[in-house]
Amino acid sequence: MIRRWLPVLIPLALGLGLGIAFALGWLPNPTLYLRADLAALAQILGLLAALAIWGWAVYRDWLQSLLQENRQQQENKAAEDRRRFLQRLDHELKNPLTAIQAGLANLGGTPDAPALESVQAQTNRLSRLVADLRKLADLETRPLEHSPVSIAEILETLVDLAQDRAAASRSAGINISLSVPQAPWPLPEVSGDYDLLLLALHNLLDNALKFARPGDTVEVRAFEDGTSVVVEVADTGQGIEAEEIAHVWQELYRGRGARGVPGSGLGLALVRAIVERHGGQATLRSRAGQGTVVGVRLPISGEAPV
Amino acid sequence: MTDPRPKILLVDDEPDITTNLAAFLGRSGFTTLTAPDGEQALQKIEAEAPELVVLDVLMPRLDGRETLRRLRQSGNWIPVILLTQVGEAFERAMALEEGADDYLNKPFDPHELVARIKAVLRRARPGQPPISAAWKLASGPLRFDRRSRRVHFQDKELNLTPKAVLLLEYLLTHPDELLTRERLLDVVWGWDYPVGTRAVDTRVAELRRALNDDPATPQFIETLPGQGYRYVAPVEAGA
Repeated sequence: MIRRWLPVLIPLALGLGLGIAFALGWLPNPTLYLRADLAALAQILGLLAALAIWGWAVYRDWLQSLLQENRQQQENKAAEDRRRFLQRLDHELKNPLTAIQAGLANLGGTPDAPALESVQAQTNRLSRLVADLRKLADLETRPLEHSPVSIAEILETLVDLAQDRAAASRSAGINISLSVPQAPWPLPEVSGDYDLLLLALHNLLDNALKFARPGDTVEVRAFEDGTSVVVEVADTGQGIEAEEIAHVWQELYRGRGARGVPGSGLGLALVRAIVERHGGQATLRSRAGQGTVVGVRLPISGEAPV
Repeated sequence: MTDPRPKILLVDDEPDITTNLAAFLGRSGFTTLTAPDGEQALQKIEAEAPELVVLDVLMPRLDGRETLRRLRQSGNWIPVILLTQVGEAFERAMALEEGADDYLNKPFDPHELVARIKAVLRRARPGQPPISAAWKLASGPLRFDRRSRRVHFQDKELNLTPKAVLLLEYLLTHPDELLTRERLLDVVWGWDYPVGTRAVDTRVAELRRALNDDPATPQFIETLPGQGYRYVAPVEAGA
């Protein structure tokens, strides 16, 4: 950065050196009388002013890029710290859980079965949480598989599955619909990891269904805008309070409305991690009492992701 | 096996893990020894000649990787189950280099450990390197080069997705063994997965297409309804 400013010193040093040489009498130092008309003066002043403003602009850009770089570094460091924290947490939880599971297996068959069963269930829940945390830490570093993926096909699979399940279980009475464009051309493929994209979209739909009540509508729609495939999962569920929206992407965050609904608080964090690894973005809009729409934007194949 | 109660050495620096697991393995029909680190593990292997070692990776003094490396360098091919994650490509390459027979990720269900131990003991050829430590695998017209990750079938290179290659590798190194979808998911993806069974089925279908394998009369991959898959063709360490 400083190096870009070094050339400025050349005329400065030259002027200073010559000045000293004239003043000390090493060179003849005659007095010069310059005459200029107002037209020339105006032009010279204009030029000087232009130079000054240009200098200021360059300075401002430089300052800004410095700040930007600084912020980037801080963000990178925060991400790195978080990843290390997740890895350590995973590591520190693994051993006690292994011991607990082995201990529980030894207790199998003792009389107090219901209590044991509940401990076993909670242990399994913790183990799943650990696995999810590891998944999250992994996702940011593991190499991605890059093959053409049909988002339309994934959505059809997921919506079919959800409709099957809705017919049977807790999501009874929820209307699930899917809209994928066919005209003027079918939804283009994106380049990415099929399993991860399926996981991300599964989490989105699962979230919408989890918080929907009988009679609610869940709409899954996909479209393209020339550079990206956009998937939206919209619901008429309970919505999210305005002050909670900023937190929903954070690991382990669970909104007030989420208490009493099963889940680890890692679903959306995973979605974001997966989408960002594919060079895309995830957004969420919600109104309490009205519903939520989560959007995922993925670059179309050929628009190489990072 | 002549001894009805195979001798297993459990190596982990966490006493709560070794005691509880030892008790469980004891009830599952094994004689169990324990060691808190790699150095003592090597001594016990020398002195007691167990039939299989369950080895944790992160331990004080001598860690699991180094212990395994020293064992293999000294030409000891005692079966080893390494307690580590195999999902990561890097880890897997390492584990292969080290010559472990199988892997299990903590935390695990102890019943799964018993199933792994039994499978490895059944596969083990005393004194010989296991199939899972071979760099090249051959099964009929199928050739698998694990270093270059290339698969040839009837002398033609197969174009498989990386996950299918991973799945095939695991099937080939665990021939004639019932592999549940959950186990395959854990191995190939490293974690459980929402529509998991479908993900495994999709990759198996991809492999079957590539190998011209008819699920009704399988030459390579057999489906065990409601249970999982089994690789049925014989596998050898290739030249």
